[in-house]
Amino acid sequence: MELVQKVRVKNKMGLHTRPATAIVKLLQGCKCDVNFTYKKETINAKSILSILMLAARRNTTITINVKGADAPETMEKLIEAFETKFGE
Amino acid sequence: MTKTISRQGERRLKGTPVCRGIAIGKPFLFSISETLTPETGVPVSDVEAEIARYRRALENSRLDIERLRKQMEHEHVSEGSAILEAHLQILEDPVITTDIEKYIETGKNAEIAFLKVISAFQQHFESMRDPFFRERFKDIQDVARRVIGHLRHTVRISLAEAPPGSIVFANELSASEAAEADPKNVSAFVTEVGGLATHAAIIAKAKGIPYIARVSFTGLTFTEETTVIVDGRTGEVIISPYADTLAIYAHVQRQLSLHVAKLEHTATALAETYDGLPICLCANVEAVEEIPLLHQYGAYGVGLLRSENVFFFKDTFPSENEQYFYYRAFVERMNGLPIVIRTFDIGGDKCFMGRIEGSDEPFFVGCRAIQFFLQEKTIFKKQLRAILRAATAGDVSVLFPMVSSLSELREAKALLQEARRELHKENIPCPEKILVGCMIEVPSAAVIADLLANECDFLSIGTNDLVHYSLAADRFHQTTSSLMALCHPSLLRLIKMVVVESNLRGIPVSVCGEIASDPRFTPLLLGLGVHRLSVACRYIPLVKNAIRCISAVESVELARQALSLSTASEVQQLLEKSYRDAVPDDCFYNF
Repeated sequence: MELVQKVRVKNKMGLHTRPATAIVKLLQGCKCDVNFTYKKETINAKSILSILMLAARRNTTITINVKGADAPETMEKLIEAFETKFGE
Repeated sequence: MTKTISRQGERRLKGTPVCRGIAIGKPFLFSISETLTPETGVPVSDVEAEIARYRRALENSRLDIERLRKQMEHEHVSEGSAILEAHLQILEDPVITTDIEKYIETGKNAEIAFLKVISAFQQHFESMRDPFFRERFKDIQDVARRVIGHLRHTVRISLAEAPPGSIVFANELSASEAAEADPKNVSAFVTEVGGLATHAAIIAKAKGIPYIARVSFTGLTFTEETTVIVDGRTGEVIISPYADTLAIYAHVQRQLSLHVAKLEHTATALAETYDGLPICLCANVEAVEEIPLLHQYGAYGVGLLRSENVFFFKDTFPSENEQYFYYRAFVERMNGLPIVIRTFDIGGDKCFMGRIEGSDEPFFVGCRAIQFFLQEKTIFKKQLRAILRAATAGDVSVLFPMVSSLSELREAKALLQEARRELHKENIPCPEKILVGCMIEVPSAAVIADLLANECDFLSIGTNDLVHYSLAADRFHQTTSSLMALCHPSLLRLIKMVVVESNLRGIPVSVCGEIASDPRFTPLLLGLGVHRLSVACRYIPLVKNAIRCISAVESVELARQALSLSTASEVQQLLEKSYRDAVPDDCFYNF
């Protein structure tokens, strides 16, 4: 199953180290492939370094692409995490 | 480990002395791996072994970080723990694991494969437009150093782990790295870049760790058994010294420790010249832990609290309450002695990067502190409110740094008034009157010292910046030795001008720069009319001794003589000679 959804970065400092850590932790153990696309660049969301390299700032939009068996749950968790600013 | 063949002779390297002292010890290579890593091809048959070696280095790094993270949690340093959590994620990143293993499979050794990938990251991050994200590379670099440290056994990661007698060799030292160093184990720092005015230098001084910067390591090889001598007087680093060199230094070190013991003994005596002129000898302070020492030495008070340390390791400016508790901790420990809190002095060499609350724009303080804060009034007022609130607990004055015109001083004072009015309105206690001082550290301020002195309660001369701006000298890459720069006749005249103007108006003037903690300058400063000095706590005994070894009359005569000289080297010779005559048994300065 493949799901695509756009989310907004709400964290004050953008997707910096702490949110990036939270994303990678959240995706640990999930069985699907997760990619983020930002400004025409697509990266593996399970790589903290790749997320940091996006340098995505607050109020920018990221396209999440989830492919695999547990895609719906994974997408739901990700959206929730972006919404709640990864607990920041 | 690098093989050495330097048995046959000693090697002398020269750098810029940043922090005084003489040390004899063994090298501890810290984060200089990039420059020392050899590229060796790996035969295809050994690829498996090389990958295993790489995985072991990653695993050892992971164990390190886990251990540090537990320690941080134990010490309730939650921010530190969060950063280390990110470091763990970086170690498990597919880019670090699978990508690099693939690279090793092409026949590269692990170090080269790893450093190639890291330097690609570095390039990418450095090309980012957003300085905040650019800065995130530091975490990657931190992890990279640790991994490389495990690949090469001589490079270790935290200075807290340095064994006793370590002479730390590093390309560059950050403030936090220097902060980790335990003065019981770290005998000296030697770096390739850096200089007198860096934060690492300030911390080295506060800890009393000798430090020599701008030493070239090119072609340098040593083992952990190599003996190294660091001479903070000349800026020399001697590798594998001859037996007689070693004997000479061992002797000097013994003499020096005798002298220091003697100074400690008289440290509690009054700070007055031998004909009885009292001098207010204050301390420059960075951390509350330094305050007991200040009491022990009988200091007059704190002449300079560097408030910018409140946001060390932080991305945003601290809240008013956070600052209030921070300042109050200092004020309470003063037991009624005066304390001067300098408002945030960042910009120039002291960079701060972060975001202002409620704003998306990252910023980088490039301009002078007071200019920046007069633009960012909300941040500045928050600090002034915090200082005013803390001032109810003791004798607090506020000092504005980097003022260059009267209008800046007036604006800053107006904001202070506004902060006070707000507090009154909100029924928050704050003192009716607080003394306001102005730093004289840019030449324009020195030239209009009369105008500034008219409108504040005290002046404080910051000689480091004054030298920097008046000689157009680069603080990081000084070509002239620092002592020479401080002896420049223009600096003496500027100090004299400021002192004359403040004395005319009956307001105190202090000197708090580098010059104040160098005992060779003490008689000159007294003679120029400076009766208030502020120095790093640990230099109080040294400066006090210099004060007690001279009479007020002699000092005035010395200053008159110095002002009549036309070159820095003549002034330097005069000061060196007079110190040798006054304090002959200080073998650190007299050699």
